[in-house]
Amino acid sequence: MNSKKRILVWDLPTRLFHWLLVAAVVGLVVTGKVGGNLIDWHGKIGLLVLGLVVFRLVWGIVGSTYARFCQFFPTPAKIATYLKGGWQAPGHNPLGAFSVFALLGVLIFQLLTGLVANDDIAFVGPLYDLVGRDLSNLATGWHRLSVDVLIALIVLHLAAIMFYAHVKKDNLVKPMVRGWKEVDQGEPARGGGALALVVALVIALAAVFAASGVWLPEPPPPPAAVETPSW
Amino acid sequence: MKSKIVLALLATTLAAGAHAQVKVEDAIKWRQSAYATMGWSMSRIKANIDGTYNKDDVAKAANVIQAIANSGMGALYVPGSDKGKGWADTRVKPALFTDGPKVGKIAGDFNAAANELAKVAASGDAAAVKDAFGKLGGTCKACHDDYRTKQ
Repeated sequence: MNSKKRILVWDLPTRLFHWLLVAAVVGLVVTGKVGGNLIDWHGKIGLLVLGLVVFRLVWGIVGSTYARFCQFFPTPAKIATYLKGGWQAPGHNPLGAFSVFALLGVLIFQLLTGLVANDDIAFVGPLYDLVGRDLSNLATGWHRLSVDVLIALIVLHLAAIMFYAHVKKDNLVKPMVRGWKEVDQGEPARGGGALALVVALVIALAAVFAASGVWLPEPPPPPAAVETPSW
Repeated sequence: MKSKIVLALLATTLAAGAHAQVKVEDAIKWRQSAYATMGWSMSRIKANIDGTYNKDDVAKAANVIQAIANSGMGALYVPGSDKGKGWADTRVKPALFTDGPKVGKIAGDFNAAANELAKVAASGDAAAVKDAFGKLGGTCKACHDDYRTKQ
């Protein structure tokens, strides 16, 4: 009497986004903490994460059913149902939705502050020139403080997955790898076709280009006539 | 006998003179100036690593860092200079004044890394400079992480 059916919950772009983000964030934390020459990689991986996050933001609008923000936005009605224990739907439950928005929010904060940060050694973020030294120092301080918030959220995220696996006997990792889940009720994810994917990718690439600062005006080449003293 | 007393007095005065108390404001200013100068040198080396490598330019910058690293900057961390204003408010954490051995280790690592960078800079080996530069940056960071306020 198994009435469970197999439905697509996480589309492929969402899963790729998730696992690339996992790898990249690990890379960012390591390169950020170790420093030295790795700080250059911190900057590069940061741009990758910026692309991933922008992609996810667009995918949250044009992606498939359960990737859409409006599908899982934790409205008071949903929270009430969830608190009463009546939550059945596939996708993010309201608490998980808070986790998603919090993680994205802190990541965006880290990206924005990192773009204008400096390490007071020899590294500056790609958009450092757009702000002054004082603002950059301020952003750097925030960047270094809020990484702890990010790590705390990730630990919470992992703890929740462990809780689901061991206490609620619900493996959340498999669907994030395979995409599908066996459920009692709920419709498979729809939408998020090729066109949506192209749109999201183009916007993400444009954002990476904007953040990379390569469009910033080059400092004017020193005219041959103006030479600094040889001492 | 009298000359011995004079000599002793003179010696005491000289010794006191050599250890004349540096004013807190001056100490902080000199610290900040030294770090700013090393910042200039680090950027200069980085520009050479990332762009066209000029051996002389790198050697000059590395020598500046080495000189400052070996200048005994610890003397500028006088009591009371955990707070105060030099060119700007100091960002040193009070822990730097109480964590003796740990700070000494970081300072020693920094000196060693600065010496190494100056050595390889003189040889003109760009790959070795990049490596030594990264290690030196790591020692800067070690102190920034633990002994400088985040904001």
